[in-house]
Amino acid sequence: MEETNFTLINIGYLDLLIGFGLIIVSIGLSRWQNLTLERDLITGAVRTCLQLIAIGYLLKYIFTLDQWFLILITLLVMIIVAAFTVARRQNKQTWELPYLVGFSLTAGSGISVFLATQIILQIKPWYEPHYLIPLAGMVIGNSMNGATLAVERVDSEIKNKRMEIEAYLALGATSQQAAHSCIKAAMRAAMIPTINSMMVVGLVSLPGMMTGQILSGTSPIIAVKYQIIIMYIIAFSVALSSFILSKLRFRRYFTPDHQLIEEAL
Amino acid sequence: MNNINIELRNIDKIKNGNIILKDINLKFFNGQRHILIGPSGAGKTTLLRLLNRLDDPTKGEIIIDGENIKDIPVLKLRRRVGMVFQIPVIFEGKVRDNLRITHDLGISANPPDENEMENALTLSGLKTEYLNRNASELSVGEKQRVNIARTLLNNPEVLLLDEPTSALDRASAINLLESIKGLNKELSITIIMVTHQLEFANYLGGHIIQLEKGVIVYQDSSENFFKNSVSLFN
Repeated sequence: MEETNFTLINIGYLDLLIGFGLIIVSIGLSRWQNLTLERDLITGAVRTCLQLIAIGYLLKYIFTLDQWFLILITLLVMIIVAAFTVARRQNKQTWELPYLVGFSLTAGSGISVFLATQIILQIKPWYEPHYLIPLAGMVIGNSMNGATLAVERVDSEIKNKRMEIEAYLALGATSQQAAHSCIKAAMRAAMIPTINSMMVVGLVSLPGMMTGQILSGTSPIIAVKYQIIIMYIIAFSVALSSFILSKLRFRRYFTPDHQLIEEAL
Repeated sequence: MNNINIELRNIDKIKNGNIILKDINLKFFNGQRHILIGPSGAGKTTLLRLLNRLDDPTKGEIIIDGENIKDIPVLKLRRRVGMVFQIPVIFEGKVRDNLRITHDLGISANPPDENEMENALTLSGLKTEYLNRNASELSVGEKQRVNIARTLLNNPEVLLLDEPTSALDRASAINLLESIKGLNKELSITIIMVTHQLEFANYLGGHIIQLEKGVIVYQDSSENFFKNSVSLFN
């Protein structure tokens, strides 16, 4: 890796406290403007601190042990947490939803992370955690947001287009044909944030990973190349996982005989 | 065109614990007009939806031409038993696009040709010039006719009509009923129409089935029905 004569400054716990001071100022602002966000700000700030410190130590531990199964378990936990997060955010919560999300996230992010680490970067060993965990984290995180939007949109579209769907069914359409426009809308909703971020990256925002690499002394050109690959594999993962998820989710609204299930709406 | 005969045997329909239809025994005859009447909540629409399997009964069986409805492939059944809804559903685009929708969606292999579309429009009571009109700009009555034309392009043997006149003024409703009568006569399509307006039931004429609280309370020819029950409705 190209290195510059740049040395990264470590952040001490006292420095973190100074950062926390900014949260205190924000709380003051919230109180002054009567936003009633004080409690959320405190909870958010404390959770950020605790969760990240915990994951920092955990990652350090996992990196030291360097065991492939520990790394796969870490990825599995990330998928499970993401699946339950997507399911919890929905108005219509069903028992099977976390499983559907888990399956589609595994497929979407699994293929894209495999492509990035094994075909493009060809990391050695194949489970090298310094690459695998942050890459998978970014892909799963973005796919999770896409999945949340996809499920939300499938649910609302089918409910709102009930008459249109039944008109299609009455003409002899399969449930798949009748719900085609709903699935299309769900995939578009899931993909648009990722497309938007590809449009403005580098112009409006500097992505976190690239910023992190630059801060740690990597040449901006290398950081940029990594970022390009990341953006592409995120787009692919969001597209694939939202496609699989929308296709799986819409099925709960129809019987195998292509009847719309009123109770499911 | 094959004729079709529908028989309902001991049909019950329960939804969310409520009895919507109770022990319905009923026959619909080939090429005739049938009218389901009754107040709202009587179960008329629910009964209609059982005939093309948009819904299934909780109990009992439906026989079509000697075959149990569940043994007929459902997509084929819905093309044989077409349905027009109370509120017309219009898809984006021109009337022409609405008539081609079954092909565009992949339901039918071949798109309807110009003649077929014009014929379906004429039978539904619209001039052929309507083919190039923007469908969303039509009046409710015209939209309803586009819905009928679209269904006719599937060559149905039975046409289910769920309160097709409910959103129309009287003159447009009578015009539409006239077109429905024409369809029945010219194509020998079996008509099963739901209405809660007795005047329209009388105008269309045929076999009247009166439903109340999910039960058939009376059925007869329209002549006898209106002769015998005029005092009841007055």
